[in-house]
Amino acid sequence: MADKQIACATCQPKGLCGGKGLLTLKEGAWTNNPLSIQVLGICSALAVTNRLENSLVMGAALIFVCVGSNLLVSLLRKRTPHRIRMIAEVAIIATFVILFDQFLKAFYWDMSKQLGPYVGLIITNCIVMGRAEAFALQNPPILSIVDGIANGIGYAVILAIIGFFRELLGTGEILGRTIPVFSEWYTPNQLMILAPGAFVALGIVIGIFNAIKGPEPEENK
Amino acid sequence: MKGNIYTLFYAAVLGSACALLLTAAASFTKPYKEANQKAEEALNILMALKVPLPEKASSAEVVKAREENVKVKQLGDLTTYIYEADGKTLAIALQFDGPGLWGPIKGFLALDPEITKIQGITFYEQEETPGLGGEIVKSSFRDKFVGLMIRDDTGKPGIIIKSGGDAAANKVDGISGATMTCDKVQQMLNEAIKSIVEEKQ
Repeated sequence: MADKQIACATCQPKGLCGGKGLLTLKEGAWTNNPLSIQVLGICSALAVTNRLENSLVMGAALIFVCVGSNLLVSLLRKRTPHRIRMIAEVAIIATFVILFDQFLKAFYWDMSKQLGPYVGLIITNCIVMGRAEAFALQNPPILSIVDGIANGIGYAVILAIIGFFRELLGTGEILGRTIPVFSEWYTPNQLMILAPGAFVALGIVIGIFNAIKGPEPEENK
Repeated sequence: MKGNIYTLFYAAVLGSACALLLTAAASFTKPYKEANQKAEEALNILMALKVPLPEKASSAEVVKAREENVKVKQLGDLTTYIYEADGKTLAIALQFDGPGLWGPIKGFLALDPEITKIQGITFYEQEETPGLGGEIVKSSFRDKFVGLMIRDDTGKPGIIIKSGGDAAANKVDGISGATMTCDKVQQMLNEAIKSIVEEKQ
């Protein structure tokens, strides 16, 4: 696994973790992108990407939760008893998710209604748990924050791309606003708003992503 | 043994810290959430009564429109919402609720002033299966109720939500694949209709 190259229990932070910061950032957001390479967290990626606005809020939620939980798990990593580390991680993740959910319900009510249960379901999002377990438990806090940001951005950008094209093709609008010329000329294809459109869009995005990045070396063996 | 005590201690401290943080967040956001819920309820009453609203009205505008147009009147045990314009009653709404397939369903039912037919219906709380029972919130389903008689041919109050079967003045087509949800909605609507018909007599 590529994780092992950068996972380093004795890493002493200097600069951006002795040059590991940039590598971590690239790893999370690009070479080991949680959504398009590891294909994690696709449940929410399929469900909320029918509008760009939804995708952006969901991406922001994941960045917030991922950074927060990575930081706390990393800070507590030497004190957490090994046997209950997972339930401790879930408790920390759930706290951040509910904080975000409360924030949406209080200040962004319409969005909270549209995202429905999917904000709460971030608790079970494999990306967040995976980063806490695979990265934050072995790495110092600053580097864990970088990893959280990287993976959060990796997820959010893919979501935004899918959301952009689904909304554009499905409604002929962007962020609920009509686009001059295009909206008059284009006949919206409702399929893109519905569930099958999500599968098609996600498949194409993953395909393009992999084509640009090139196949994993392990897969060629 | 020492390890066990530490584990328990750790779990207790972490759990309490998380709980404390969430309690603080919940009490901080409570007034905002309550205001949102109030606006949501007001919006549903207005939509059921078909009070004209500006497009994309803010929550403050919604609450204002609700206070200006809708009067709350106690009819026995029943709370009714009356839409009046120019001194004339245009519609009368009441809340209904009951168990759905997965969770409680709540909504508002608006009737004409003579209590003979339905003028509008909204659902503001439901957890039905998305795509099947969840379709009850769609306007395509709710609009079917507009103009529906609330009595059958013999004058007995009650409506029918069912797919197929003979057409009747008090029957709407149900949603295919959501028979349970439709049955339960029918039951709670009929209870609401019965209570208002009894109160009016």
